[in-house]
Amino acid sequence: MTERKDNATENAFVERAKQHFDKSVANLDGETRSRLNRGRQAALAEIAPGGRTWIEWAPAAGVAAAAVVAVVMWTGNQPSDELTPTSASTDIEILFTEDSFEMLEDLEFYSWIELDDETDETLQPGGHVG
Amino acid sequence: MNACVVSFAVSCRDKHHTGVSTLQREQELNRFFAEVEGRALRIAEIGVRDRDEALDLVQDAMIKLARKYADRTGAEWTPLFYRILQNGVRDWHRRAAVRNRVMVWFGRGNKDDEDYDVVAAAPDPIGRTPDEELQSDQAMDSLDAALAALPGRQREAFMLRTFEGLNVAGTAVAMGCGEGSVKTHYSRAVHSLRETLGEHWQ
Repeated sequence: MTERKDNATENAFVERAKQHFDKSVANLDGETRSRLNRGRQAALAEIAPGGRTWIEWAPAAGVAAAAVVAVVMWTGNQPSDELTPTSASTDIEILFTEDSFEMLEDLEFYSWIELDDETDETLQPGGHVG
Repeated sequence: MNACVVSFAVSCRDKHHTGVSTLQREQELNRFFAEVEGRALRIAEIGVRDRDEALDLVQDAMIKLARKYADRTGAEWTPLFYRILQNGVRDWHRRAAVRNRVMVWFGRGNKDDEDYDVVAAAPDPIGRTPDEELQSDQAMDSLDAALAALPGRQREAFMLRTFEGLNVAGTAVAMGCGEGSVKTHYSRAVHSLRETLGEHWQ
């Protein structure tokens, strides 16, 4: 008899607790409801068709882009058969080779030869006729 | 050639079926979340004593359920959802405990979290606006404080059984323990709450 009464009291207590709780849920303010709704939409986006497509592909796309950049840079440094303007470093290499020093030593001789060629051209018949 | 055409047709049909089922699943999940989210928020809020934190925990639980268990039957969702949520609440308490230890080390934390007085920390009714006062429920405030003072497992068992209406088996799944433990925790919770709130609590 006492046990039955205690059970009834306990059930009444639990029922009251449930009523108070349900009332507090019903009284949730608009801002809280709105935030719950936003959270729900974010969760549903997880299973929406195409919802995560770009996120799922982002790592693969990043790796692919890095690979393309690496290939372009590597092939760009390869020697080419085409004639390309020589760089300043190439000029310096030519300038300081042993032959170049010899040329510099005979600079006066080369100037004389050049001058002599020009003189011969002016003395040829029909070069400058009046 | 014919084999390719047949294969393509089957592929299109499968894709169509998958699309429809995904849409249906999305609608079902939306209904489930809409139905459960308010109660879940209040349950989490009682667990962590902070609405903003509770909102984050509920959203995380919804995202995890959608990501991992959307293909389960609707009947399985409720215990799974609350299992994720309760794990989140427990993790939150662990992080809070670690944070408090660190702050104590730097001389700025609460030196004894065990002495936290939930009744004293409960919102003060006097400081409310008239609107809030209208919505306020003194009995619920007392219940919130009494629930917050319970050991975590007892609180979980009581809230899942009473507020969410889960049966013993569902509560056991949600709590990750046996049905016997659920019954024990629940019984102790009811006893403690009645003692704390008194006979005149309405």
